[in-house]
Amino acid sequence: MRRILSLLCFALVLVFLGCDDRPAPLKVDLSLREEISPEVRQPVITYAYLPQFSHTVSFERHQALIRYLAATTGLDIRQVFTENFHDHIQMLAHGKIDISYANPFVHALATERHGARVFAKIIELTGEAAFGGLIISRRDNDEITTLADCRGKRWIAVDQFSAGGYLFGLGHFIDHGITPADFAEIAFAPGPGGKQESVILGVYFGHYDVGTVREGALELLADKIDLSRIRVLARTPRYPGWSYAARPGLDDEVVERIRQALLALDREDPEDRLILEQAAMGRIIAASPADFLPVRDLVRRTGL
Amino acid sequence: MRILLRFLTHLSFRAKISLGLAVIIIVFGLLLGSMSYVISSRTVLDETIKRGQILAINLSARSVESILAMNFLRLTVLATEITQLGEEADISYAFFLDRDGQVLAHSFRTGFPVALLQVNPVEDDQPYAVRFLDTGEERLYDFAAPVMLGQTRLGTVRVALSYSSVKASLDRLMRISITMTLGATLLALIGGGLFARTVTRRINALRTSVGNMVKGNLDVRVSGNLDRNCWEIKDCHQDNCPAYGDRQRRCWYVAGTLCPGCGAGEFPDKMANCLDCPVYRHSVGDEIQSLAESFDYMAWRLKNHIDELSRSEKRLSRQKQLLKTILDVTPDMVALQDEKLVYLAVNKAFCRHLGREEDEVVGHTDFDILNPEQADRNFHEDRQILLTRTPLSKEIMTRGGEGKKWHHVVKVPVIENQRIIGLLSTARDITVVKQYQEKLIHSQKMEDLGRLAGGVAHEINTPLSIILGYAQLLLKDLPPNDQVAQDVAIIEKQTQACRKIVADLLSFSRGTDQAREKLDVNHSIREVVDLVEQIFRQNRIVILSNLDEQIPPIFGDRERLRQVWINLLNNAADAIGTDGCIAVKTKLCPHRRRLVVSVADTGTGVAEEDLDKVFEPFFTTKAVDKGTGLGLSVTFGIIKDHGGRITVLSPVPSEYQDFAGECEYEPGPGTVFFVELPLEGEILPDDECIEIPKKG
Repeated sequence: MRRILSLLCFALVLVFLGCDDRPAPLKVDLSLREEISPEVRQPVITYAYLPQFSHTVSFERHQALIRYLAATTGLDIRQVFTENFHDHIQMLAHGKIDISYANPFVHALATERHGARVFAKIIELTGEAAFGGLIISRRDNDEITTLADCRGKRWIAVDQFSAGGYLFGLGHFIDHGITPADFAEIAFAPGPGGKQESVILGVYFGHYDVGTVREGALELLADKIDLSRIRVLARTPRYPGWSYAARPGLDDEVVERIRQALLALDREDPEDRLILEQAAMGRIIAASPADFLPVRDLVRRTGL
Repeated sequence: MRILLRFLTHLSFRAKISLGLAVIIIVFGLLLGSMSYVISSRTVLDETIKRGQILAINLSARSVESILAMNFLRLTVLATEITQLGEEADISYAFFLDRDGQVLAHSFRTGFPVALLQVNPVEDDQPYAVRFLDTGEERLYDFAAPVMLGQTRLGTVRVALSYSSVKASLDRLMRISITMTLGATLLALIGGGLFARTVTRRINALRTSVGNMVKGNLDVRVSGNLDRNCWEIKDCHQDNCPAYGDRQRRCWYVAGTLCPGCGAGEFPDKMANCLDCPVYRHSVGDEIQSLAESFDYMAWRLKNHIDELSRSEKRLSRQKQLLKTILDVTPDMVALQDEKLVYLAVNKAFCRHLGREEDEVVGHTDFDILNPEQADRNFHEDRQILLTRTPLSKEIMTRGGEGKKWHHVVKVPVIENQRIIGLLSTARDITVVKQYQEKLIHSQKMEDLGRLAGGVAHEINTPLSIILGYAQLLLKDLPPNDQVAQDVAIIEKQTQACRKIVADLLSFSRGTDQAREKLDVNHSIREVVDLVEQIFRQNRIVILSNLDEQIPPIFGDRERLRQVWINLLNNAADAIGTDGCIAVKTKLCPHRRRLVVSVADTGTGVAEEDLDKVFEPFFTTKAVDKGTGLGLSVTFGIIKDHGGRITVLSPVPSEYQDFAGECEYEPGPGTVFFVELPLEGEILPDDECIEIPKKG
């Protein structure tokens, strides 16, 4: 009898001990309050990547390259993120971006209108110095099988300053006798960032009939959507690829140090190769303004 | 504790079961309720922590772009939006830090509490960190999650969940838990109460039945009737089966059932065959039901046994009474002693003989009830019998107030299973048998004496006649005065005396011829009395006659009967000497088949040891020259020749001492002779005459 009673008491004690197993709370005094404004540290050299992809992708692609540049040049280089292509151009024009990595369309505009200087260009991972755009639709959309079928349809483009995602496609349409007026609607992907993906998803989910993206954009979503449901209607002609430009007024010496560092990246060196591949680049070579003449011509032709 | 135990001990069984069940149910209800509350509260807490983790991780993922873009507005919106999430609004705050720990955005309206920066740090490789904080106003769970992009730390997200909302959930859980526990406990208590009632109702029925049994009422019935009885299940019509129609007992309690599958014998021997029987499987109840049925069966068996016992007891009692009556009525003394010679049982005759009550004898030994000498003798004798295992049979003579008594004693050892367990003693009064035996011996002796005397007399008679004849011839030849003649005369006289003796002897031995004729006994007696009365008077001896005139005449020898009366009267006068009375009385016995003549005197009486010898020839107590000792012998012979009997008693019994108040002399012990004569025939009839008292 006594043993049973003892067991019962023990069980009850265990139960009530188990009731409160929270750790003792840590005392925190919340009465001391401050208005905190984040410390804005103006980097010496700001580096921006045209937000054709999400900030995350931009960050991941260029983080290693920026660390390499900072280490190589001894400059304090920091990546900044712009909300959209227009912002990018504006920030480059207003000197908030020191080094810009952008498409030839943006740099054609920036050099022509705001005095930016292109000092290096990249060779694509494919080994080509040029790149083009893709005109896509949904494979199950039987109404659109040829370019001509795009008339009267809703078109989503990456940005009005996008090269592969708008300018090349627009040029291709015009070359095939389709003007912007022929479309029921021309929309641009919402920002900030991730605009290439937005175009593909917009077509994929049927919000738009036709989309224009740059080459290689589809592969970014390979693990998110079923790419076989996307039909590539046409591939645009290829134009000079992405390039580096310095803001107007940036110290030439700084530009040169950066240019040297970029050009010094050796694809044969495993570390350099890793940096280049992360940034989706084959290699970086020197560039001259003349390299971008075909793009300027295209801008003019499209009337942008 | 002891008081509690005492209290519990005095509770009824039902109260104990109910209380026990209630305690168990309440304890387990509390335990289960507590455990379920603990488990639920832990789950709620875990869920809360998980929710906090998810919130923090989610916010971390959502803030990556904004942190990269330094979009403070968007971060602020994220922080404030999340604190307004849900109806509960249990998220106390949210804020973002950059990789250097600088606050990027927060949800506080009135400035950022800097103390929060010091707590709950989180490393890059940790998915999150949680810390329980007490702000003084409230308690909260602070969750921190690193904002990572690849391997790069962009900053930190901090979210806090208020513990008060968690506590409200826990309180709600506790209320639900308590309510459910109480409800379940109440239901269990009601169920337990019903269960206890069901169990105790049957046990109480058993108890009531036991009480009835204790009071002697064996007609108890605890188990109820079955819905279907064995003959209904089997659909049999064997109304000669003992179980058929018996609704009180289950068939397996009934011996001699006729179902083919039934085992032989009684319960529980026949149970082996019952276990697979469809009737048993249908009718068998739970343990209490079995107990009740067994109890009923036991009561039934007990009642039968008690009835049987009662009948046996009555029989035994009657037999015992009969045996006691037989033992008590039997004149023999019977006693049973155990191996230590303590009396176990005695009959009334035994008690009477000892002059004690049965209670005074049973349980005692001879030493308690007899004189030491007798007890010692008995003890050694009894021990000898028990040791030798040999029965004892003997005749003993005792003298007491009632005179000489003879007993035939038989003592038998009682042997049971080769072991002596006692001693049975019986004693039969054989005084009468002994008397008859003595009489027989005596008469045989008289017969032999008579024959001897007759033979001797006959042989002497002839030489005596020759002597007498020659003596008388000599007298004739001799002158009377001659001296020789005088001597011869003496020879002749003495020879005559011898002849007289020889004639008496012949008379005693029936040696003489009888002249039978019809005569009146009273007349014969009167003649003799008249003859001797004058002579006796000289010695102041009075003869008182009381003769029954109803006596009819008998056949007899007149002269010899006169001789009898003369002898008896002479004998009486000799016993008196002088100054006494002789009472002569005749009486017809009531059955009128014999007459009795009694001659009683007031003389000196006869000694007891001489009583048997008075009729022997030549026995006399008189002086040598006073008698020959042949008077009574002759009388005996004469009466015997008449088919009668003569007996003597001394002293005279009281009824014969009363000489009708006519005797003026002081009476002595006296002697009385009774002469019985048959009225017809030559032998006395078988029936005794009550007029003659027995010898003491």
